[in-house]
Amino acid sequence: MPLLGAAYRLAANLVADRAEAEDVVQEASLLAFRAFDSFEPGTNFRAWFFRIVTNCCYARHRQRGRRPQTVDFDDVPDLYLFQMTQGAGLYADTADPAAAVLVKIGVDQIIMAIDALPEEYRTAAALYFVEEFTYEEIAETLNCPVGTVRSRLHRGRKLLQKALWAMVEENHN
Amino acid sequence: MSTPTPLTCAETFRRLDDYIDRALPLDERRQVEAHLADCLVCAREYRFEQSVIDNLRGVLRRLDVPPDLSRKVAEQLEAAKNKGS
Repeated sequence: MPLLGAAYRLAANLVADRAEAEDVVQEASLLAFRAFDSFEPGTNFRAWFFRIVTNCCYARHRQRGRRPQTVDFDDVPDLYLFQMTQGAGLYADTADPAAAVLVKIGVDQIIMAIDALPEEYRTAAALYFVEEFTYEEIAETLNCPVGTVRSRLHRGRKLLQKALWAMVEENHN
Repeated sequence: MSTPTPLTCAETFRRLDDYIDRALPLDERRQVEAHLADCLVCAREYRFEQSVIDNLRGVLRRLDVPPDLSRKVAEQLEAAKNKGS
C-alpha cells in the first residue's frame, strides 16, 4: 500500500524515530478506519489520512513534553546554504554544489534537522519535502490558508538550511 | 505571444520559491524565466535552491519502509473489524 509507505516516511520525519513512526502509522490507520464515516467522498483522501497521521505525531510530541519553540527568523539570511557554500569555497569545485554539500549529510541527520524545526514549520516542511505536496494539499492537510503554508514553507526552508549547514560543519570537524 | 515585463533581481528573488514550487501564475512564471535566462547571478541562485530541494527529496524518498508494515496494519484493521461486527 503506497499510502502507508508515504505515511511512514512522513511520520519518521515528524517524530524522528523509525520505530515510533511505525506505531504512528498503525495508530493513524486504526483511527482512520474508525472515523471513516467522517471522510467526505470526493475530497482528498490522502490529505485527510495525513491529517490524522500528523495529529498522531503532534500528540506524541506533546506526550514527550516538547515545548513549542520560538525562533528569530531575522538571523537566517536568505540563500543561507548558498552563501555558506560560497564562503567555504565549495562552490567552484563542482557543477552541482548543493548536491556536493548535501552528500555530506546522512538521511537520519536530515530527519533530525526537520524534526528540530518548530512544529508549524516542521509539518509543512515534511509534507513538502517527503511527499512533495503542493501548497494546496498542505493547506488541506493542515486545515489552514494557502498563504499560511507559503509563509511557513519559506521560513521553514531558511531554518532547515541553517540546520543542515550546522550539520555539514559538525561532520567536517 | 507578447514579451513579458522585465523583472529586477529583487523582484525575481521574491518569486523564486513560488517559481520553484510551480505556484506562480503563467505570466509571472514567464517573467521569472526571462530574467533567469538573462541574469547569470540569479540563475546560479535558482539552480542551487532547486538542487537543494531535489536532493533533500531524493534522500528522504529512499527512507526504507518496514517490509511488514502493510501486513501489521491489515491485521490490526481486520481485528478491529471483527471486534466491531
